[in-house]
Parts: sequence; C-alpha cells; structure tokens
Amino acid sequence: MTVIEAQGLTKKWGDFAAVDDLDLAVGEGECYAFLGRNGAGKSTTARMFLDFLRPTSGSVKVLGGSGADPEVRSRIGYLPGDLNLPPTMTGIEAVHYFGSIGHEPDTAKVQALMDRLGLTADRPFHQLSTGSRRKVGLVLAFMNDPDLLILDEPTSGLDPVLQDTFRDMVIEHKQRGATVWLTSHVMSDVDRVADRVGLIDQGKLAQQLSMDELRTKSTGNITLTFPDAPDVSSFDGVEGVSNVQVADRQLSIHVDGPVTAVLARAAELGAVDIQTEKNDLEDIFLDTYSHEAGR
Amino acid sequence: MSGAFEIYRRWLRDRRRSTIVWSVSIAAVSVVTAAFFSSLGQSLGENAESGSTTSSMLGLSDGIDPQTPTGFLWAANYSNQLPWLMMALAIALGTAAIAGDEADGTLEYVLSKPVTRSAIAMARAAGMVTILFISAIVNLVAVAITAPLFDLYDSVTITGADGSTSTASGLTFGQLVVGGLAAFAVALGSGAIAYLLGAASGRKGWAMGGASGFAVAGYVLYTLSNVTGDLEFLTWISPWRWFIDDAMMVNGLTWDILWPFALTVVAVVAGWQLFLRRDLQN
Repeated sequence: MTVIEAQGLTKKWGDFAAVDDLDLAVGEGECYAFLGRNGAGKSTTARMFLDFLRPTSGSVKVLGGSGADPEVRSRIGYLPGDLNLPPTMTGIEAVHYFGSIGHEPDTAKVQALMDRLGLTADRPFHQLSTGSRRKVGLVLAFMNDPDLLILDEPTSGLDPVLQDTFRDMVIEHKQRGATVWLTSHVMSDVDRVADRVGLIDQGKLAQQLSMDELRTKSTGNITLTFPDAPDVSSFDGVEGVSNVQVADRQLSIHVDGPVTAVLARAAELGAVDIQTEKNDLEDIFLDTYSHEAGR
Repeated sequence: MSGAFEIYRRWLRDRRRSTIVWSVSIAAVSVVTAAFFSSLGQSLGENAESGSTTSSMLGLSDGIDPQTPTGFLWAANYSNQLPWLMMALAIALGTAAIAGDEADGTLEYVLSKPVTRSAIAMARAAGMVTILFISAIVNLVAVAITAPLFDLYDSVTITGADGSTSTASGLTFGQLVVGGLAAFAVALGSGAIAYLLGAASGRKGWAMGGASGFAVAGYVLYTLSNVTGDLEFLTWISPWRWFIDDAMMVNGLTWDILWPFALTVVAVVAGWQLFLRRDLQN
C-alpha cells in the first residue's frame, strides 16, 4: 500500500516555486528521508501533506485520503520543525488536550515515553528549553502509535543520547508497520533509520535512491602502502579508478563503485597496508548541493 | 464535535486570567463612573447644553437629561467608555481567535489533530462571544450591586433653567440590562469584523487594524456628521448611529439591536468560509 502519494505536487507563491512538480510514493512500513538545504521545500511539502497549504497544482494523498480529513489525521503523528504550543500549557496538559481532540492515549504508554525521553512534563511550555520542547513534540507525535509519522527535523536540539533514543523509537515503529517520513540535517539519523532518501533542491526532487543503492553508488578514497615506491601507472585499466597519486611508498586512488578489482591488483603488487576513506550520505548531500555553495 | 468543545474550553482556559482582568477593569470603570453621579450629573448637563459636539459625543439626543441617574450613566459611561472598552476587548478576542494563534504558530499544531477547520473556526467564535458575554455580565452585576451606594435607584428632583422642578425616576435594573446589552452588541460587531479579517488573512495586524479603524472611523464619521451635517448619508455604515441615536438604555430596546448581531453572523460565516479556502500562514 502506498501511504504517501504525490503527483506533480507544486506550490508556488507568485513566480517562486517552493515545491515544483514533485512525484513521490512512500510505501507502508517504509522510512523515507527527505533531505535538502534550508528553504529547499521540505517543510512546505510536509505542510501540504497535512492540508495546511493547498497545492498550486498536482495532488497528494496520505493514508489513501486527504490530510484535511480528521479520520486520516487521527492516524498521523506530526512533529513540526518549530513546535509551538500555548505558552502556559504544560507537557502533561498537552498530552491530555491533544489526546482529547483525537484519541486519548494510554497513560502508561505516555509515561513510558516521557521516561524514555527524560521529560518532566509539569512545566509550562514557555519555560522549557529547546530540547525539552522537542521531547514534548516527540511524545505527542508517538503517543498514539500512528500509522504515519511526519517528522520535520525531529532531533534538532536533542543531545546525542536522545538522538540515539529517537532512532530506536523510529526503528521500533517501523517494525510494527508504521511509515515514517522525515526531514533531517543529521545524516546519522538518516543513515540508521531510512530505507530511502530523496534530495530536494530548489523545490525539485534532485535525487531519489534507496539506502542499498546509496551504498552501491558510494565512492571512496583508498591509500595503499607498498614495500617500495609504486609506479603511478600501476592501476591503469582498473575499472572505477581515478585520481592516482604517489607519495613515497604510498599510492592514493579514488574508487568509484566496487573495489574487488582494486584489491586484486593491490595484492598482485604486494601491498602491505590499506586505508579506506568511504564517502557517505553526507558527501552525496554535499555533492548534490555543491553547485549552490559555489554560487 | 467533542474536539470542537475541547478547543473551545481550552481557548477559554488560556484566557482565564486576561478575562478576569478585563472584566474587573471594565466593571471598575463603570462603578467608579457611577460614583460620580451626585457630584458630576449637573455639570455634565451644563456641558452638554454648551455645544452640539459635546452632546453628540455624550450621546445626549433629545429628552436625555444627564441630571437623571439613567441619563448620567448613559452620558458618562454607557454611550462611550463602556462600548469602547468592550470593543477593545472584542477586537483583541476577534484577532486572537484565528489570526493570533496562527501568527503564534499554535493553530497549525491543533490542525494536525483530528479536527476540522470548521470546528476550530466555530469553537473560536463561540469563545469570543463567551468571554465578551462574561465581561458584560460582570459589569452588569457590579453596577447593579453598587448603584444603591450612589443613590442611582432613587428618584431625583430636577430644577430646570426656568426654575421649574420635576421629578425623574431612578435607574432600573432593566435599563442596566438593556444598556449593557447594547454595549455588548456594538462591541461584538467590532470583534466579529476582527474575526473576519483575521480568519480571511491570518494576519493579526490586518484584523486588529481593520476592526479598530472601522470602530474609530465610524465614531468620527457619526459625531462630526451630527455637528456639520456633512456626509450624513454615509452614517448608516457607522455602528454608532443606531447605538447613540437609539440610546436604548434610556429609551428602551428597539429592533436596531439586531443589526450588530446580524453583522456578527455574517462576519463569522464569511470568516469561516474564507478560512476554509486558504493556506495557513507560517
């Protein structure tokens, strides 16, 4: 079942296209990470899922219906990038208030969630730190075991331990069949929980690939050490090798794709040491947006 | 609709303290003004006689004598201070109803829950009416209880300019109810305009500025037109025309009381429909 389905989804303000002709399909139980620079259109996309913004053209369905439908919303857990609650509302009041609007959550489950996140929920929202506000948002998003989680920068402001806890929570929800759509600038979040990533650039979906594809596509630098100074042409003709450099007894190469042939040639040449430096999601992210950074 | 009721209840709760402060302040102004009846009533009458501008501003149309308890309360409070204060409260509430919470970012999160925009729009409109009504009731009770302290329920003997004397009856509870109802109504109309502008645009500035401008411009238009006769044909736009001309607190209820309620219904329905059709503001 397709849980999020966008076709030609476009949002324009005047001539400015915040989201431009976005096609997207996220399946049940999948975790889809939507990545991009600030202002790329991530939050605008999320806000169209929930009918806060109406598309200029195209369409979007969540859980088979419209984000405007209360029945659909009752199955969604949402964490906005900037959560704002009434200033005097405490965390526990928020749980009861938003529970009373939708489905009153299991008290024991809420308490377990708060304990897990280390949240003391008796202080007014306006007195909470950024991290504590985030914790309140996470409790509210997860407390009803939603079928779809829409999380905009979920770990922003959380310490590394809580970021790890959050990742565990997402994995647990995926395991029980929930779908997760998240935006994040924390690549370790994405690396660990996502099944697929989409990179949005100036409103357009620039790349979309599964984590398996990502790993296959990922490239790396390898430095080999030999007993004697190697010849710079030693790896000529080996598939995927480029940027060969020699310094003393060390030879550095850039490998694009599988390293099997490289290792075979290194063994033939009697390499005594190997060091790898793998490009990861963060490098792909930076590569994708390097044209903007160079402006 | 349980979600709508919870939203209504929470909105009232979030405004509990401000409702108390506003209500007590409005009632205090009314009581303090009433306390000046014995010392100020006569001079108010003399001022009113001195010019049509003053008369117009005090709401002293024909037959209203500020030397009488009812005429004094009308001229000193119920025709000006009370409706202005209640308007300020109503405009603040009408602005907060949708545009205020939208600007604070709190509306969006509520809308991520299983509740419709219609339910929120109606809950907030009901909240605005409720708080305004509470303030009107507190004012009524405060004035009604304290009026005997200032002899407002007693008949008074008035000496005319020609030396003749006459007896005017004292204030009645019914007049306080009607005076309060008229002030509540004219304020509610202004609040509904703020609600409409806020719901249509999601912008606090537009809601507050538009509704305040409407109230002030209407007052200026009405009072100056009364003095000069210019632009009289436009005064039907002003809510102050029926409010001051009819002087219901003194002269009794008229069908004109329905105008602000009709305006409120139209503004709330229009605001609700426009709110359904637009994007939320960031």
